[in-house]
Amino acid sequence: MTRTDSKDQFQGGVAWQGTVCFLHRTPRAFLPMRSFESLNLIAGRGIEGDRYLIENEAGFYSHKPEEGRQVTLFEMESLEAIMRDYAIELRPEEHRRNITVRGVPLNHLVFQRFRVGACLLEATRLSTPCRHIEEILGKPVFDPMIHRSGLNCRIIEGGEVRVGDIVRPC
Amino acid sequence: MAKAIRTVKTIVKDISEPLAGIKVLVLEDEDQWDLPPFRPGAHIDLHLGKKLVRTYSLCNAPHENSRYVLGVKKEDLGRGGSRFIHEGLEVGGRIDVSLPRGGMDFDQENMNIFVAGGIGITPFVSAIRHMENQSRANYVLYWSSNGPASIPEMIRPAIDAGRVHISDTRHDPFPDYAAIVSAHGQHSKVFCCGPEPMLRAFEQAVSSWPTERVHIERFSIAKPDIAGSDDTFKVVLSRSGREAVVEPGANIVHMLEELDADISFSCEGGICGACRTPWIEGPPVHNDRVLTPAEREKDVIVCVAGCAGPRLVLDA
Ligand code: FES
Repeated sequence: MTRTDSKDQFQGGVAWQGTVCFLHRTPRAFLPMRSFESLNLIAGRGIEGDRYLIENEAGFYSHKPEEGRQVTLFEMESLEAIMRDYAIELRPEEHRRNITVRGVPLNHLVFQRFRVGACLLEATRLSTPCRHIEEILGKPVFDPMIHRSGLNCRIIEGGEVRVGDIVRPC
Repeated sequence: MAKAIRTVKTIVKDISEPLAGIKVLVLEDEDQWDLPPFRPGAHIDLHLGKKLVRTYSLCNAPHENSRYVLGVKKEDLGRGGSRFIHEGLEVGGRIDVSLPRGGMDFDQENMNIFVAGGIGITPFVSAIRHMENQSRANYVLYWSSNGPASIPEMIRPAIDAGRVHISDTRHDPFPDYAAIVSAHGQHSKVFCCGPEPMLRAFEQAVSSWPTERVHIERFSIAKPDIAGSDDTFKVVLSRSGREAVVEPGANIVHMLEELDADISFSCEGGICGACRTPWIEGPPVHNDRVLTPAEREKDVIVCVAGCAGPRLVLDA
């Protein structure tokens, strides 16, 4: 494969650039995710007002504090694939991750750093689906979400992320 | 082992007593965030204390999604749940609740006949508010009580529109269910909620009806996450000696949490491997998608496990 001109655009052998489509957060376990035009990311801690903000945790997994789950991302393309493959409509507020992106190969970014708007994130691990999402949604989405359940990240440089922001490697 | 949060935390926003012995509770999130959605006629469990879990119907309409409203009758001879609600709850107090379950599927074109007894009105309040909100008039309610009707103001528009028949069985005749259900044509769908003797009488009246046109409201138990085993077995923790009986369809993760097992859980669906534990006696029924056959000889993915024998003894 030929290396592209811009080192910035080269990661894992593929050039990519994506966008932020939706932003969601919820303050406590099981409550519906609410859509926002912007979220405030706090370096080393999480999202202001979200259930997994470190030192203020109230999420389903808060009994297992995890430094690498400060913000979570999900692909628009996965929502479309679940519709295509299983005829299940999973809406952006239903996958329960914070940032829904398009054009970002999340499964290839583990351990890499990338920018979302002005913020710098470091991917820590792939998200795995959790059985309780089926209970919350009343939709059989556990199996369809296996291997496309998003990405967990640590926030290296915080700031405001807005819908429409560019997501790019760095 | 720290436990996962398994309930929705709510605050008692309001308590009223529209009729002596009937309390109406309004529960909200502490920041008035939306609560998990529900269908008309759904119910929730209230976790009133350790081992004191009671199920009540929601009686607001699903579009009022930032609160849960419940009507609770004080049952002096009951098992303590309604007494606790009537005597121990205060505005501002905290109640943890389950996700809503159940609900009613209405017939879109034909008549929906609601038959309520006493405080069994609550799921129909939710249903009627939902129907009225959608400007739908294809329903009728027959509501009998042994005394005055408890919460009629909650369905005032339906009463004013002539869609509600209220009777007080102290002086009105006991409702003739067979006559009621046949009065609206054989394509109607019938729904009933009330005390057990009434449900039995109603069941008899509709015994020849197709089951898909009959909805008898008995609270459904929480849907099990995993169908582990068809038979009851005992799960035993060899290190602490603690044990619990796992009924068919019961959630083994919740039981192990109750036993304070030193096992981590994450996906609870048999794919992440977090709960992998050596087993001593079984043999386990493996339902995971993680272990190889050789690994299953020693270990089990507990969150989805069943047991082929009477005891699943875990090295934990
Ligand atoms: S908790 Fe994930 S496999 Fe059991």
